Amino acid sequence: MEPELRPRASGHLLSPAELLAVRTRDHKIPQRSHGQKDFMPDGSEEQQEKLCQCRDEQWQLLREERVERLGSLVKAEWKPLEGIVELKSPAGKFWHTMGYTEHGKQCLLPEEALYLLECGSIQLFYKDLPLSVQEAYENLLSQMSVSLLKYQVFSHLKRLGYIVQRFRSSTIATPYEQQLNLDSHYQNAEKKHHKRKRSSSPWLHGKKPKTSERTQEYAQPPQKDKRHHESSSHPVSDGGSLPEEKVKESDSGVAVEETIPTASDAVQCYQSPPVCMEDHHESSTTTSLESQGDTCPSRWNFTTITFPNMGADCPQTVLLQPDKRLLPENVTAREVDATRWRKRLNQKHEKLSHKEREHLEWERKYKSSINEDKEVRQCSTWQEYKALLKKKRQQREKNCPAHFWKQTVTPLLKPDQGLSTADVLQQISVLQPSHILDGASQLQNNSIAMKIDFDVYPADTASSFKKNKPGKPFVRMCVRSFDEQIPTLRAVKQLAYQSGDVPVVFALVDNGDIAFCSFKEFKLPVDVYP
Amino acid sequence: MIRIHVLEGKAFVWNCADVQRIREEHRIVGTLVGALARKPRQNVRLGLPLQLLPEEARLLLEKDVATLIKNPSSKPFADDAEQDPLFLEAVAAYQEEQEESYMEQLRLAAEQRKALLGSLAERIAQGRAKKQQQKGEGGEPLSKPADPESSFVFPRESMMVQLPTERTWLGQEEVDWHLPSKEWPYGGQPEHEMRYCVFQSLWEQGYYITSGSKFGGDFLVYPGDPMRFHAHYIALCVTRDAPLSLCDIISVGRLGTSVKKTVLLCSVDQDGTVVYTSLQWSGMQ
Repeated sequence: MEPELRPRASGHLLSPAELLAVRTRDHKIPQRSHGQKDFMPDGSEEQQEKLCQCRDEQWQLLREERVERLGSLVKAEWKPLEGIVELKSPAGKFWHTMGYTEHGKQCLLPEEALYLLECGSIQLFYKDLPLSVQEAYENLLSQMSVSLLKYQVFSHLKRLGYIVQRFRSSTIATPYEQQLNLDSHYQNAEKKHHKRKRSSSPWLHGKKPKTSERTQEYAQPPQKDKRHHESSSHPVSDGGSLPEEKVKESDSGVAVEETIPTASDAVQCYQSPPVCMEDHHESSTTTSLESQGDTCPSRWNFTTITFPNMGADCPQTVLLQPDKRLLPENVTAREVDATRWRKRLNQKHEKLSHKEREHLEWERKYKSSINEDKEVRQCSTWQEYKALLKKKRQQREKNCPAHFWKQTVTPLLKPDQGLSTADVLQQISVLQPSHILDGASQLQNNSIAMKIDFDVYPADTASSFKKNKPGKPFVRMCVRSFDEQIPTLRAVKQLAYQSGDVPVVFALVDNGDIAFCSFKEFKLPVDVYP
Repeated sequence: MIRIHVLEGKAFVWNCADVQRIREEHRIVGTLVGALARKPRQNVRLGLPLQLLPEEARLLLEKDVATLIKNPSSKPFADDAEQDPLFLEAVAAYQEEQEESYMEQLRLAAEQRKALLGSLAERIAQGRAKKQQQKGEGGEPLSKPADPESSFVFPRESMMVQLPTERTWLGQEEVDWHLPSKEWPYGGQPEHEMRYCVFQSLWEQGYYITSGSKFGGDFLVYPGDPMRFHAHYIALCVTRDAPLSLCDIISVGRLGTSVKKTVLLCSVDQDGTVVYTSLQWSGMQ
């Protein structure tokens, strides 16, 4: 059939007067204020009237045509061969989240152009003639680029305010990058600038028994560390002491320096960096000290230098008279009891988060410091310690009956493993839970039946959104028809793998209605304490 | 004739009057899927086009009130149309029309402004007199009120342009909906035939019917226009002699009960009549 060419014949084109009248058109949608829906039509006039109102309102809205000021329309041209739309006048605000530049030309993808046409933001031309919305639907949408279904999902999301981009696999981290967790590293790096962790200095960190001794494996031999001689001039077997005290202890060197000079009667002699002193020791040095001089390249002999412990846990804080040689002239120093001062130090309580508190509590219950073992503390070298370990192991093995442990089938658990209940359950379970990404990388070489269609970014990021560097999407969208099969586990795995750590959402389109659903990994909660 | 346009196997109505007729005269509802011209960036109320279920479209076609039209395979202008006299004519006509529209809008806008100034003339005069008084006599003599005709500007950017919704030229190719084709693959499909039988049967009893996928069924059946009434039934099309699992029956029964609707199991008998079975949740006490 020959196309009948009557370009201007149709009745739905508005006259100039009508066009001008649109300027004063209402821009609000009428609220549906016709009350609740009724149960049954009863033929009453009231019902009929309400229905008529509703319908009239509806037809009124549908009859309205898109009319815009010429100046606020961006001119765009449809290029069917390239399958893109090229802008002929400078882009509007939409350029922030849509479009791309190619060979110095501003271009739009078909779905973007069609959406903008529907929004009355662009005027779309094809061969110098404007396209109607219907023609744009019929020409711009195709199975090859963007199908009708995909466009319906795209425009639905766009109307809700989301930023929607075509899925780009390059935005996804490679498995290696995922393994390294690069992304979260960047995020953390940013955060660290604002919020320093407690005790970020490694020096202080090392002195904290909480972090150094107890969590750094049990294999640490007792008190070999030089640092301990500096800091712990009193018994170290303080497994049960609170972390607050520890922090105070580690802070004390600094604190003394800061506070004591303000007192006129006390003269400060303990300074950091430490200076060599002859025989000024704390009286409470009980740990057996070993000479470290030969391994120490420093000119300071740290075994003979002690620092006062100004911590709240230290019963005595008598600071002896400092060596006169270390003092400037005209300054006299004397012995001082700092107990009074100490009470004023470190008044601030360390604030632990709920999680940290829980962790500590747990540690106290289920972990024990290796230093609590008297035998271990008697060891003074690694050699001795290792010998002790060996001896203990042999003892244990003697306790294991041969018919139990020396055969091919042995118990899953050893009695001395000291595991928590959860660990035991984990150890003896036959079926291990599987993760959605398990084995997903092997599935990739097969032909992929399903593809991710869109990357969706939340609406509130629009101000900071960058097209070239969109970052991590909020979700990725996979468009499906309502009557298609439910995706198989294989397909779900493939999609999850392609998407990385961004959730994949399925958009199911049924006759213009769109429903969203996603398959989420579910970890069965384990009700074991701890 | 109501024009139903096919796009990717889906039926669309682009003409507003057609949409109104479909609803008011034929009780066919459909789904609006486009952006509303007045407020395009929201999903609460949508605009043209109206998408029809294959069954809805078929009913209109069977009743011979509509034609199924596809996007013409022959484009109005060939790709090398730049020299086509017909094409050049069309472009010239469009441009001329735009020019005419601009001139007319200019004239109308000027008229409107004049009318506005006329209606406000008294107040303007009062304002001027007041201003002069404030300035005192020492001020320069009042500049004469500018001629409204000459001072009026209506730049070309201010011209209002329509972005038409419906196709502006009427090239069309009819599709035979009886036979399955690439454009309209439904004819003769057993699934479609069954659904259509049920749809038609319900429709003939005076109901309004919409898609029922939201409720896990085939159709939702309304006693009146869905704008004003709630659905009463969820229709589920089942093949007459296909076994039905008890689990499915229970799940649809449960669903129907929880949304206060009755589930209808609909199947087509050998002679084409539709048999309805309703499910009711009951307990023994």
